[in-house]
Amino acid sequence: MEADSRTRYRGGVLVDVIRTTPVDREVRHYRRWLLFAVLAILALVIGIFLVRFNKDRPVSYSDPEQHYKYGSVGSEPGGSLVDAVGGVLPPYWIFVALPKICPEKLPGGYESLGLIYEGDADLPIGVSRRYRLGFDQVGLNCASCHTGTYRAAAGGERTVVPGMPSHQLDLQGFFDFVLGCTLDERFTADRVVAEIERAGGDLNALDRFIYANQLVPRTREATLMLANRLKPILDNPRVTRWGHGRVDTFNPYKAIQFNWNLAQLPESELSGASDFPALWWQGPREGMQLHWDGNNTSLQERNLSASLGAGVTPVTVDHANLQRVADWIKELPPPKYPFPIDAAKAQRGAAIYASQCTACHGDHRFREGTAEQARASVQGTRVGTVQPIQSVGTDRQRLDSYTYAFASNQYTLYPDTPYQFKNFRKTNGYANQPLDGLWARAPYLHNGSVPTLRDLLEPPERRPAAFYRGYDVYDQQKVGFVSNVSAEGGRRFSRYDTRLPGNHNSGHLWGTQLSDDEKDALVEYMKTL
Amino acid sequence: MAEDVIFQPLQFRHLTVKNRIFRSSISGRWDNYNGSGTQARINWEESFARGGCGAIISSFVPVHLKGRILPSYAMIDNDDKIPFWRAVGEAVHKHDCKFIMQLSHGGRQRDVPGVENFMEKGMSSTDSPDTFHGLLCRAMSKQEIQGVVECFAQGARRAREAGLDGVELHASHGYLFTQFLSSAINDRTDEYGGPLENRFRFLQEVIRAIRREVGTDFHLQVKMNAMDENNALYPWEKKGNTLEEGIQICKWCEEEGVDGLHISMGSTFPHPMVPPGGFPPDELNWWYGGMVSSGSRAFLNYCFFHFKLLRPIFLWLWNRRKKAYPIEGVSAEACREIKKNVSIPVLNTGGYQDGALIRKYISEGWMDGVAIARPLIANRDLPHVLASGRDLPDRPCTFCNRCLVNAIANPLGCYELRRYDGDHDAMIREVMKVYDPPHFPAESAKSGHTFAVGA
Repeated sequence: MEADSRTRYRGGVLVDVIRTTPVDREVRHYRRWLLFAVLAILALVIGIFLVRFNKDRPVSYSDPEQHYKYGSVGSEPGGSLVDAVGGVLPPYWIFVALPKICPEKLPGGYESLGLIYEGDADLPIGVSRRYRLGFDQVGLNCASCHTGTYRAAAGGERTVVPGMPSHQLDLQGFFDFVLGCTLDERFTADRVVAEIERAGGDLNALDRFIYANQLVPRTREATLMLANRLKPILDNPRVTRWGHGRVDTFNPYKAIQFNWNLAQLPESELSGASDFPALWWQGPREGMQLHWDGNNTSLQERNLSASLGAGVTPVTVDHANLQRVADWIKELPPPKYPFPIDAAKAQRGAAIYASQCTACHGDHRFREGTAEQARASVQGTRVGTVQPIQSVGTDRQRLDSYTYAFASNQYTLYPDTPYQFKNFRKTNGYANQPLDGLWARAPYLHNGSVPTLRDLLEPPERRPAAFYRGYDVYDQQKVGFVSNVSAEGGRRFSRYDTRLPGNHNSGHLWGTQLSDDEKDALVEYMKTL
Repeated sequence: MAEDVIFQPLQFRHLTVKNRIFRSSISGRWDNYNGSGTQARINWEESFARGGCGAIISSFVPVHLKGRILPSYAMIDNDDKIPFWRAVGEAVHKHDCKFIMQLSHGGRQRDVPGVENFMEKGMSSTDSPDTFHGLLCRAMSKQEIQGVVECFAQGARRAREAGLDGVELHASHGYLFTQFLSSAINDRTDEYGGPLENRFRFLQEVIRAIRREVGTDFHLQVKMNAMDENNALYPWEKKGNTLEEGIQICKWCEEEGVDGLHISMGSTFPHPMVPPGGFPPDELNWWYGGMVSSGSRAFLNYCFFHFKLLRPIFLWLWNRRKKAYPIEGVSAEACREIKKNVSIPVLNTGGYQDGALIRKYISEGWMDGVAIARPLIANRDLPHVLASGRDLPDRPCTFCNRCLVNAIANPLGCYELRRYDGDHDAMIREVMKVYDPPHFPAESAKSGHTFAVGA
């Protein structure tokens, strides 16, 4: 007999005899295989899932300039699929499809906001791409706010200058669009997937499922949270809009990184917009009081902190890639003034500059030679130190937006790592900056309240009370950008009203008492900086 | 209708049948469990003879206990069965109808092996289980093969001694002969496996043993697969024998002195093409349960029948290849090819009912006669209907295959409720007529009918 049997006892008493047939044995055999197969398939699926959703692969560029423009510093969302953190932009394909989902909100596409598309690149400068959480994500990098353009004339060729303030960028308009469209009722799973496919996104069934059931709702949720937190500064008539070329550095930081309720802060803290600074020639700046208000003396901490503003979090930051950028901008030379300079006039201006300006700002030697030589050229001056607010007299809102409470929150970031912040300090004024590449840093003062250098040499009451920002045609006479153009070919520039909170063009009276001739000569010299 | 080809006699070498309609082999579990016959079997077979068939091919008659498909089919494994079969033959002969016994061995294909076979695997050409139900088996030794050959020879002798008119070897539908003949099933490396002549050897030895035992003047026909279509259900299975191989086997049968061929197709039973028609999932859900312990895949199949959401998956697989074939005359084309290659009479089975179609095929020389099972269960008098000049009875068979699925558990009969205008009691009364007259008729009862259902 082939059959086997098994006898069961319970408490010493025979309770059952279990017999099996060949079929029973066969079934038991193949069920074991079936279980094994099911477990193997399950393990495979989980494995594929883990590999896919844990893969973290930035699009990389070997050329440091390309890396600066398009490389990822980790501002794309990361962490884990179930608890994604970081990022202020939706996934790549949603980002690409967004202008098609809300066409009337952005008829000219991202370019009309001042984002720069080079050649046939799929993303503008300053937007990086990175495969994270199982999908292509996008994020902002340093170049988004620190790459500017200029033209000699309205019809002229546009020159892109990495490291230059993105004076042409309407960052607030960009956020308004991304937030507004994501929260628009047309932002539905069906429509998003359809627009993605129309835009060339070749989604497979799993992708479509995850887009429809995960990414679209989650993007909406994350945006809703972001919009709510930023509502007191983005959607508040008593808070001055940033306009082109400016950002409120610290208030979004308070809301996004530290979950502060901005509505509870005094309004005097909320209009803190300031100009994008230039990012070149950072090497000689090590040890200076950095940021407009000089709140930190460490380049590394300043860089890391600035990246947080682009959407990086301590969980998602890519230190190595950020370091590549930091190393490159240390050596990045400031751009030379690209138009003719009247050498004799500049010569006369040099003498005036030496008496009026060098003590606080250094001179043309700062941009020449090595970093050591540059630093030596400002040795013993007040360059890189804070000038008290009472003395400089410029608008204090930016200074007031950085508070003790905020500084103490910053110290909680990157705990127990080499990256923990140690050098943030509350100051009482604005730092004296070296003026390398000054011509490309218009408009002037920390809040960009004065359109040209020549205007800056006028007393405040004679500086333009209102002007337009964002137009990139250069004004070689007054040194700055042409500021009386309100729109051009689908781009609308922002009107800057110096009477609004945070926008005052008061202060910095140095040089205002000079004669017009002297002022012109001084401006001519400053082209050489 | 004197010139109607259907009602011309069919002349075999040693047998003449009065018309071209044969009752094809079909069983029914109404014999005794031990394989001895009952009055119900006699009633059943006689009802077809009364209906006008020229000849009846018996139920699947196992030549050995290990070779039965389901218990409670009358067997021919011992001389003690001869008197019963003699009684069957006599009952049929009263109606000028011939009776041909189908000698069979299921091999691995034992749908319900019975308690006596339950602890052992079926005997086959291979160790690989059947692909539909997972019916287990082992490859027979040469000695065992010789034993089975002898069982067939003795079965034929008993049939002759019982006064029957001939025997048929069931070499189709996946039973033991098919398990040797099919290239999809037979994986032997000895002289019974490999090339076609080796795979044919078992059938050849059985034919020769029967001729040795009963002589050359006793009618012997073979029911043969035209082709296997072994992958009709599961596309990953091997295709099995082709029509060319089927023709070759038929030619060899003729050379071995076989008197007639009975052509079908399909290497399993049931098979998507055999019997052609529907495959009712409701009935499968009700009755397939009796088979779940028979094979290693049976429970899985049962789940597919039981859960309505899974049914479409199974039915998709089952119906996938059907579209290439007609329901009526499913293997007629293949039969025509075989008929061209042999000179002995050829019967065909698979969905015959329509008189016009049968007439066309016979008169055009596709075949010499047809074997019918399901349409005859539905209308025992189908030959009389056709003879009267009508091509279809009033309530024709719908090829629903409810009879097939019920056969696992219930008395064989027509379970197509639509044919009874939805009257379930009427259907049951009709099915139960097989027990009428009973073996022990009540003295007072005139008809002997005792099965009362309904109000």
